[in-house]
Amino acid sequence: MTDPMPALISEANPIKSINGRMLQKLIKAGLTWLRTNQQIVNTLNVFPVPDGDTGTNMVLTMQAAYDEIKDSKETNFGKMAHLVAHGALMGARGNSGVILSQLWRGFARALDDLPVLENNDFARALAEARDTAYKGVVRPVEGTILTVAKDIAAEAELITPVTEDFIDMLERVVQAADRSVQNTPALLPVLKEAGVVDSGGKGLYFILDGMLRYIKGQALDISIGTVQPLSEMVFLNTLETVEPGQDYEVIVDFRPHNSLDLPVFYGTLEQMGTSIQVGEGEGIYRLHIHVPTPNLYSPIDYTRSIGTVTKVAIENLVDQMENKNQACDETQPIVSPIEPGQIAVVAVCPGAGIARVFASLGVSAVVDGGQSMNPSTQMITQAFENLPTDKIIILPNNKNIILAANAAREVSVKDVAVVPSKSVPQGLAAMMCLIPDGDFESVVKEMEHALAEVQTGEITFATRKVEIDGVQVEEGQIIALLNGKLICSCPNVEEALLSLLSKAHAEQYELITLFHGADILKTEAASIAENIQAHFQDQVVEVQEGCQPHYHFIVAIE
Amino acid sequence: MMKISLVTDSTCDLPDDLVKKHDIHVVPNLIIIQGQEYQDGKGISRQEFYERLPGMVSPPTTATASSGTYQQLYEDLLRLGSTKIISIHAASALSGIFNAAQTAAQAFNQHVFVIDSGQISLGLGFQVLEAAEAIEQGANFERVIEFLGKIPERIRVMAMLDTLEYVRRSGRVSWMSAHLGNLMRIKLFLEVKAGEVLRSGEARTRRKGIERLKQHLAQLGPLQRLAILHTNALDEAQQILADIDPKLPSSPLVVNVTTVIGAHVGPNGLGFAAVIA
Repeated sequence: MTDPMPALISEANPIKSINGRMLQKLIKAGLTWLRTNQQIVNTLNVFPVPDGDTGTNMVLTMQAAYDEIKDSKETNFGKMAHLVAHGALMGARGNSGVILSQLWRGFARALDDLPVLENNDFARALAEARDTAYKGVVRPVEGTILTVAKDIAAEAELITPVTEDFIDMLERVVQAADRSVQNTPALLPVLKEAGVVDSGGKGLYFILDGMLRYIKGQALDISIGTVQPLSEMVFLNTLETVEPGQDYEVIVDFRPHNSLDLPVFYGTLEQMGTSIQVGEGEGIYRLHIHVPTPNLYSPIDYTRSIGTVTKVAIENLVDQMENKNQACDETQPIVSPIEPGQIAVVAVCPGAGIARVFASLGVSAVVDGGQSMNPSTQMITQAFENLPTDKIIILPNNKNIILAANAAREVSVKDVAVVPSKSVPQGLAAMMCLIPDGDFESVVKEMEHALAEVQTGEITFATRKVEIDGVQVEEGQIIALLNGKLICSCPNVEEALLSLLSKAHAEQYELITLFHGADILKTEAASIAENIQAHFQDQVVEVQEGCQPHYHFIVAIE
Repeated sequence: MMKISLVTDSTCDLPDDLVKKHDIHVVPNLIIIQGQEYQDGKGISRQEFYERLPGMVSPPTTATASSGTYQQLYEDLLRLGSTKIISIHAASALSGIFNAAQTAAQAFNQHVFVIDSGQISLGLGFQVLEAAEAIEQGANFERVIEFLGKIPERIRVMAMLDTLEYVRRSGRVSWMSAHLGNLMRIKLFLEVKAGEVLRSGEARTRRKGIERLKQHLAQLGPLQRLAILHTNALDEAQQILADIDPKLPSSPLVVNVTTVIGAHVGPNGLGFAAVIA
């Protein structure tokens, strides 16, 4: 083979092989760098809806992988890789997390108990990682993390004969990952339309890049990339609980006197608070930070010292949280007892109200799908492992949780079936077919059939300006989705609901169920429902408290 | 010469013409509506009962005929020439009727044989009818008893409840505890099997529920007998029958279910009882 590319010259001494202890450090570095850049990955969401969570899911998956090895004294590379794979699998969240865990699984499998890793082993392991990940997905789509995995495996194979230096190898792999990520919109039209690169691929890039940065001795905790375009900044104040030190949210717009020294800037802010984000647009910087009460004015004083402050916004998070608690009944559901031999259903629920509704229909366990955070494989497994029956049905109720549910099925010794409900209404439709004493296979089949019997509507807000499916959306606008497809942007929630129902031909159906989110008061929901009823007089309109975050309404049309 | 008589109770839901034709003795159960006692089917029509049910301040209660009533009937039948009596009743797990009859039968040794049908409504009624036809075809007592033992496995009884209010109040369904369906309006499906009332899925809307009932019926395959059961939903019951258009050796029945069962089911329920061929 003729390779036109010369081997890269590394500043550090060449490394010919690495052992398990080194892998431990690399995993930590990959995790740290990914976490630093988590927000960037989260904002790479095709739909401008506020639950972009790929970054969070990948961080939690890597965190679980690292937790598995952080106290290990293992020096054998292969054995350490197996521990990483196991941790990642048990902690996998969301589709991206599950695919990531599959990559680790394949990676570890190729190495068995190899004591140290050399470049040709690395190439072999990346190839096996790629194959395992592709096999783990029913219909692999190009332009995703899978493509990035494929491209880095190809690059590693190409480079193996050229260099024995692991640093060279990793550097070239990281560059290949970057190129591959940049190319994803060319392969996947939805990315191109949305003007983003693939989030999972980008996350994988950050993990590998973090490893490289660690070897090169570069900082891992300051994201030079966290300066986002101002127009794309999204702040989500949908915390479940206010952690200590997060009393206030402070947002400051300022024009720096001189060009901003980011490491110093971040370093100073980290002394004041958490959840730091920085955006930039046309010379104006926007700083977002959560601070404890004593530091309330520190970010303002600091930015005044280095520039001209143009605008300040302060919100009391503790008070917001209390208001939210008033608005939403967080009572935990009472699940149905189950007897040995019966069929038990585990439902992933994105809000306390929705969990109560599922409980009232006879689910035996509820997994909190809460706050744009997908549950891990382990959380799903734990929910049913102790139930006194072997027949388990999982309702993921979200397309991003189906893979984690499938992974839970694979690790369990019980007889587990995943009925792939992509939404809460689909999950409820499936529940209608639950016969606890029925034949397992036929109940599962009936449930799968039922998924198609209901239409799902969602009302939320756009997190950025975008045009999708011919619908022009401005940042912050209310948007309606029907069966996952963006159908309109509207000035208010009620109009969005009416457009949604008209598009869904709700007048031809019997029942409209509105699950109102945590940010909608009961009285508000009731009055909206009354107006909906006036437009759809032949249909029954039912309102349920859903308590879900981000989504003002989830609508079942059946 | 052996003469076998058939006794049952009013939960069998057999229409009067069939009762007369086959000389079946039906003991009425009792229903107490706001302090006033009625014999099942007398004094208040089923239609009127279901119309008034939602508005009743205190829920109606039901009672079985006394052991004495059964004893008197058995005595009369034996005196009038019956050599054997087969007394078939509603599932003992769901009502005290079987016990009342069983207690009465003890006074007559081998002459009265009491059977727990494990069923209600025409799930019971069809067993009585099958027995009657077997007797008319000349089967002896032992053969009839043996025959009756095999019928229950061919019987399917299912109901769709329009509301959960009445069954919850009745306390007859053990799993129907506190919170099932208390948040969403659902149409609950119940199946009666070997004396137990089983949960058999739900539907969110009435139209879908009726479709589900028809699907269940279609899945049963060829039938020997069929009754569409309802509690004041005659039009829909007739429509179901027209839609499924079963090919049966006997004519299908459409029955407004006895108030003794209906008090626990509530109005606008739909269902079926079938004997698989």
